[in-house]
Amino acid sequence: MMQVTLTMKPRAKPFLPIEAEMIVPMNFIGSRELFVWEGNKKRRLEDVFTVRKEGNVNSPENIVVILRGDTGRVKRVGEYMSSGIITIEGDIGMHCGNFMRGGNIVIHGNADGWLGREMRAGSILCHGNAGDYCGSGYRGEKRGMRGGKIEIMGDAGDYLGEYLTGGEIHVHGNAGMFAGAEMRGGTLKIDGDVRIPAANMSKGTCIIGGVAHEMLPTFEKTGEKNGMVVFHGDVANKGKGELMIRQVQENSALQ
Amino acid sequence: MEDKIRHVICPYCGCLCDDILIEMTGGEISGVENACTLGARKFLDDAGNRLKGPIMRKGDEWVDISYEEAIDYAVKVLSEADRPLLYGWSGCMTETQAIGAHLAELIGGIVDSTTSVCHGPSILAIQEVGHPGCTLGQVKNRADTIIYWGSNTIEAHPRHLSRYTNYADAYFFHNAFRERKVIVVDVRKTVTAEIATEFVQIDQGGDYHVLSALRAIIRERGGVIPDMVAGVPKAQLIRVAEICRQAKFGALFFGVGITMTGGKYKNIRNAIEFISELNRYTKWTISPMRGHSNVYGSNEVFTWISGYPFAVDYSRGIAFYNPGETTAVDILARKEADAALIMSSDPGAHFPRVCSEHLARIPTILFDPYPSATTHLCTLQIPTAVNGIDAAGTAYRMDGIPIMTRRFMETVYPTDTKLMQEIYDRIRKVKEDA
Amino acid sequence: MHEILIKNAFVIDPIQGIHGDIMDISVRDGRIVDKVSGTCEVIDAGGNLTLPGGIDSHTHVCGTKVNFGRYMSPEDMRAGRTPRRGAMYHTSGYTVPTTYGNSYRYSKMGYTTLLEGAMAPMEARHTHEEFAATPMQDMLANTLFDGNWNLFEAVGDKDIRQAAAVIGWTLSAVRGFGVKLTNPGGTEAWGFGDDLSSIDETVPNWDITPRDIIDTSIKACEFLHLPHSVHLHCNNLGMPGNYRTTLQTLDIPSDLNPDRQTLYLTHVQFHSYGGSTWGDISSEAEKVASSVNTKPQVVIDMGQVMFGRTMTMTADGPMEFRLYTLHHNKWSNHDVELETGSGVIPVYYSRKSPVNSIMWAIGLELALLVKNPWQCMLTTDNPNGAPFVKYPEIIGLLMSNLYREKELDQVHKLTTDRTSLGTIDRELSFEDIAVMTRAGQAKALGIIDQGKGHLKEGALADIAIYPVKPDQTDPSLQYEEVIGAFQQTLYTLKDGFVVNRDGEVIRGIPNRTFWVNANLPDDMDVMKSPRFVEKFSRYYSVDLENYMVQDDYVERGIEMNTHVA
Repeated sequence: MMQVTLTMKPRAKPFLPIEAEMIVPMNFIGSRELFVWEGNKKRRLEDVFTVRKEGNVNSPENIVVILRGDTGRVKRVGEYMSSGIITIEGDIGMHCGNFMRGGNIVIHGNADGWLGREMRAGSILCHGNAGDYCGSGYRGEKRGMRGGKIEIMGDAGDYLGEYLTGGEIHVHGNAGMFAGAEMRGGTLKIDGDVRIPAANMSKGTCIIGGVAHEMLPTFEKTGEKNGMVVFHGDVANKGKGELMIRQVQENSALQ
Repeated sequence: MEDKIRHVICPYCGCLCDDILIEMTGGEISGVENACTLGARKFLDDAGNRLKGPIMRKGDEWVDISYEEAIDYAVKVLSEADRPLLYGWSGCMTETQAIGAHLAELIGGIVDSTTSVCHGPSILAIQEVGHPGCTLGQVKNRADTIIYWGSNTIEAHPRHLSRYTNYADAYFFHNAFRERKVIVVDVRKTVTAEIATEFVQIDQGGDYHVLSALRAIIRERGGVIPDMVAGVPKAQLIRVAEICRQAKFGALFFGVGITMTGGKYKNIRNAIEFISELNRYTKWTISPMRGHSNVYGSNEVFTWISGYPFAVDYSRGIAFYNPGETTAVDILARKEADAALIMSSDPGAHFPRVCSEHLARIPTILFDPYPSATTHLCTLQIPTAVNGIDAAGTAYRMDGIPIMTRRFMETVYPTDTKLMQEIYDRIRKVKEDA
Repeated sequence: MHEILIKNAFVIDPIQGIHGDIMDISVRDGRIVDKVSGTCEVIDAGGNLTLPGGIDSHTHVCGTKVNFGRYMSPEDMRAGRTPRRGAMYHTSGYTVPTTYGNSYRYSKMGYTTLLEGAMAPMEARHTHEEFAATPMQDMLANTLFDGNWNLFEAVGDKDIRQAAAVIGWTLSAVRGFGVKLTNPGGTEAWGFGDDLSSIDETVPNWDITPRDIIDTSIKACEFLHLPHSVHLHCNNLGMPGNYRTTLQTLDIPSDLNPDRQTLYLTHVQFHSYGGSTWGDISSEAEKVASSVNTKPQVVIDMGQVMFGRTMTMTADGPMEFRLYTLHHNKWSNHDVELETGSGVIPVYYSRKSPVNSIMWAIGLELALLVKNPWQCMLTTDNPNGAPFVKYPEIIGLLMSNLYREKELDQVHKLTTDRTSLGTIDRELSFEDIAVMTRAGQAKALGIIDQGKGHLKEGALADIAIYPVKPDQTDPSLQYEEVIGAFQQTLYTLKDGFVVNRDGEVIRGIPNRTFWVNANLPDDMDVMKSPRFVEKFSRYYSVDLENYMVQDDYVERGIEMNTHVA
């Protein structure tokens, strides 16, 4: 095993974003110099973090990278990662786990937007809340997350799982509006409440354990299963998605 | 001495009316013909309201400085910043916008236009599903059915109806005004709603639901739709869908009433998909009612230079785009920017308070001929010649038609193009020397 | 004075009749000269292939619909991003790159002249603004007339002189170069959501047919003595069975011009389909090529399809809508009042698709079956059939039967039955390729006298040196080396300066825009016609005074003056 601990140093301009896609386990094999971007300046990893390495291994699956300190502005951690573990003790910035292909990311605080964007495989566990566009795609792209698993113990923001194409997202708390919009595969499970779920979905399964507010008029009720109402849609398109809801908000202003 | 200048282009809104007649008396604008009240005011209020020269904040006071000193300051601030934001641009001509995009590239900054607080959501929607549109003359000559959705056009774009839609001459109709149907969709009965053949009143935030229902009806899945959708009776939805399907040429125009509420870009996406679906039966187009005169020009220029219409982040040399992350409001709300250049726009009046507070904390350079709410936030304000009055250049109408604005007045002010070029050249030299 | 001497160049210059001689080329102040002083900069071409700068006679790189392709595709912009470096601005995009992306990549492939295939007159300023941001090439704009109401009236009156007056005025007014007809009449029909299915179908609301529009435009074009012929995108693009329309169209022009063709048919691959549905589509390239082979008055370009992702964009609005109903991807449309239409949708051409595989084969068949290379230009209708960066692979396919057979093995197996590609063993030579990528274009566009497409004394010193020695290379077997050579020059020179070295732009040269001033006599000046002026003000949404393109947009314009018969 090898453990790499990255502790954020105090910064003159603490609000500047840091782009750090090089923080993936594989990059800590050997001793090549790593760089991150702070605003428009390229910095050595050591200028931004105190780096401590313990152990020495040859393959990334035996590497644990720990991020410590004020990492809420650090973006793209774990981008394209294929194996190993990243543990974030606090909050993490946007695009954590982008294009992830394997391995595990564990976030003990909150994650900012685009967590697990366009992820292919592996798993992300976030103990806090996730921002907007968790498990989504990129602007203009027709596919979001395609595989793997994202689990959020807290709440998720808006556009959760937009264009979800494969894999599974499970949110234990509530989600914002337009969860599962444009879904075309995979499973989206929200234990709490949502607004306007599964808009324009074409395939996949969306399960809402709480209350669905502002439910769309274009889902066809087809039965009940496990105490949940089952809908098919979205019939605004030729959607063949499945939407299961514990409780549809009654007397909605919008129905 | 009195002078009349014809075919002047109004620099106020995205209609870019190009038939304005200006009367000049003694070197000042004394009369405006053909313009709407908003456009006329732009011309008539000009005299006497401009700053005389650059002003710099020193402690609690404003100090007059020279253009040279102002440029020196801008060069220093922008070349040293770690995350400079270059925002505004919709009142600039494309020639200046192009230099702005290259300046952002040069200094590793973010270039964003007022798009991000008006029709940014429309662009996000277009990036998902495309945009079946047309030039405004196509609507004028052919449309028998017009929808204004979330746009109080009579008050916001007063001449849109007379130049391009309802009241305009049409090649294919003898009496266009009588033969056209106008559908207005809004959350309240606006002035525009009063001229509608059909007014659809929607509950606040219900646009998406209504559009989904209309799509389902067009696809003959109306059976699923409940009796009432967001305050609109199903019978009315069926009637509207039928009017749309019977149209020979329909045109839907939408405003910020739908881009900036509820699901924002999802609303627009749904509207576009509604129009795309209608094209399987007849001809329909959809168009955003763009606000500022050349906001569309900024989208065009930024696109051919960077590949992206707004919110372009050059901090890593290559262009990166992600509205919500690289948009001006988000950059400021997160307190990321450490310097700002504001081009002929007024975020002080339109941005959330947290953004204004941040602008006031960092060096903020404002290019604007007139004092504005942003003046109170900035460190330095540089007045320039006014585009469309004493400066000329290319502007893009809301439908993408490029027009060269006219300069019809002598000026003592430098143009923003000239100043921007000077800043760019100076910073390039600084970077090359380094 | 700036001089360069290129030594040991393996020169192919079809216009001069130089078929591969090792020679020196002297350059002074941007032009080819007889000799230079002994002290000038010397480039040793080392026996490598040296050609006049490449010319693309049909590409979509600048203007409203190209930019809309960019605007709606941030996902495409993610590919091909490079930061600013040296003399280069940053670039983005793969299928529809930014203007600088296009310009640098074309320059790397030795191209110095581009013809934008479709400019709506009303949106001309946009095209010219983007021309100014495409710094490494001289530019020309084909101007759209397919739905032009003023032209339609002249066609209806069978008045060639009036048609010439409209075309001449418009070209001068918008700083355009040639006459482009895209689905003539069809784009007007699309104004109400219709299309035309034959060249003899009447245009709705107008008592004319596509045949009338094409015929009158050709005659008007010759009456005006325009450098380029009518440049036609036939009706029925992309429809199974459309080869009949194409053959009928090919029969329209007689041979009216001794210097060049009378009709240029573009992206003919998309117009050579047999069968009647997508299920039974087949190639009719043999019939189309046979027709071209008997008609010296016709030049075509391939419109080759290559596999992978790309963006389709054309003034042919109804065709793009049909494509949208097949692909269900994003769809943009942009009708231009009184003039034309346009549409943009992304597509993916797959080897697994029988239709796409047959399309791929048809383009190659055309290039191999048209006997005279001066009659078939190498294009992909960039980016419709593929991004232009695929040209080198197409060159490889045309020069090597072996490579074709290998590729044919990889595509859908129906291709062998439905096309004749597998039975053709012709292999094109370096000289054929030189014709199909520059000399033929210069002749077809009528810009030989502007110093384009050749290396005669006095010509513009636009030169491409490719890292391949033709006398030591067998393209039939060494096609990979040939492809590599055409992907990146050793040197690209423009106006006598090395602008690209080993794929890197090392300096820019202000580019030019070629445009036509038709110098109409007073009695042909439409601006003096009250009817024209009155109709303009009633039905256009801009004032006539704000329609005409100001000189500011063509600061480096080359005005090509023509005179009526």
